[in-house]
Amino acid sequence: MKNFNASHLQVKKCIKEAFQTFPYEVGWADEVIFFFTIEHITEGNPVFTAKVQLSPDGVRWGDDGETPVAKLSGEGVHIIKVAPNFGNYIRLSVETTGGEAMLCVSIHCKG
Amino acid sequence: MSVDEVLMRGRFSPLKNVLSYDVFNTGFNGWMSLMPNFTEYPDFDVPKTLICKDQYPPAMLSSATYRYPGTHGAMSGTFSLKLSTKPVHNPYCEPPKTGSLGHGLKRMAFWRPGCRYLQIESWFSHTAEQDCMDPNDRPQPGLHENSIRAFGWGFDIQRNGMRTFCGMRYLNAVDGEMKQKWQYMYPTPGTDKDWAYGLEGEWCKRGIDAFWFGKRYQDGHTDGFQWLPDGDQRLCYNETDDKLNWQYVRMKIDVENNEYVEFQCQDKVWDMRGIPTFSREAYGRIDYLLNPTIWVEGGADRSVFLYLDSVLISME
Repeated sequence: MKNFNASHLQVKKCIKEAFQTFPYEVGWADEVIFFFTIEHITEGNPVFTAKVQLSPDGVRWGDDGETPVAKLSGEGVHIIKVAPNFGNYIRLSVETTGGEAMLCVSIHCKG
Repeated sequence: MSVDEVLMRGRFSPLKNVLSYDVFNTGFNGWMSLMPNFTEYPDFDVPKTLICKDQYPPAMLSSATYRYPGTHGAMSGTFSLKLSTKPVHNPYCEPPKTGSLGHGLKRMAFWRPGCRYLQIESWFSHTAEQDCMDPNDRPQPGLHENSIRAFGWGFDIQRNGMRTFCGMRYLNAVDGEMKQKWQYMYPTPGTDKDWAYGLEGEWCKRGIDAFWFGKRYQDGHTDGFQWLPDGDQRLCYNETDDKLNWQYVRMKIDVENNEYVEFQCQDKVWDMRGIPTFSREAYGRIDYLLNPTIWVEGGADRSVFLYLDSVLISME
């Protein structure tokens, strides 16, 4: 039977700055999905531009380049399906413009 | 006898009834990150507290892959369970900074009739992130052993109308000064308010959650952890942050006499009979609770990690 696991990366946190999610190891998984949930908009009309980044060691990072950059706005659940061949260490690097929102971000892996 | 059984019996010394045997190369096996209680109005908010637990990094399955050597793997295959801290810290005597602790636990609720002893055993390793060089004012500024403040193993138990917290903490360093001493969980006398760093209305009671509550003192002891007699022990860290070595720990308690029985780390065994475990009146809705719990705390602005190859819980 396959393994599955979901882990939190941001929990009910109001964010209006750029941020990177905590480095997460997915070497055991075949597929990875980030759920990027905008729970409440608390200021303005925030737009979150999220890039998948990969790392050889959890310290130095480069852009994935295959997973499309996601521009996320509006309350609700936004889905980022990571392109295959993601290796081990993965994170989201997020730019924020136009406001603030309470976010929940989680990573869901299967393999 | 299967290879798995040979390995279990060779590596562990379980009591008669094995309750759970988790080798993390096979998956999480129910071990998960600690989370607060999302129970409050208006939006599943958490109770007012000084210790924000929803910003702890998540527990994860790790291949222990580093910058120069590549993948370390685990003692039992490729993957271990990794507990992490965020690269933040407060000075030792202040409340732990949000994210400076990582915590994993497995949630069970059971007690076998007639059993009196409970034991946790684990194979583990610890390291700090090989992120950047420290100032070049000491030998080996690229070695970050002293960034790891502490780690430990324990139980959160509720039975017979009492909630019991017990555990062993390896105090590795205080504000960068190496200590390398074991402590056992037991609170000094005082008020619930003092226990919660003076916060009025904190939900927690004295003796509960000593991982982060209880005033801390510069010599390294806290209101929640006392020095284990003859508790000095230099664990293997190896010579660089990217080399792991798997080590063994075992703690046995007596729930009838409410005392520690025995603690072992590597080849050193402490007879702890006569040292009490601490209990408070029961909390609501958690009768029979039996949660093994493991944690790590950072003492510098860099992530530190505790890796668990395997954990075995047994009773008799």
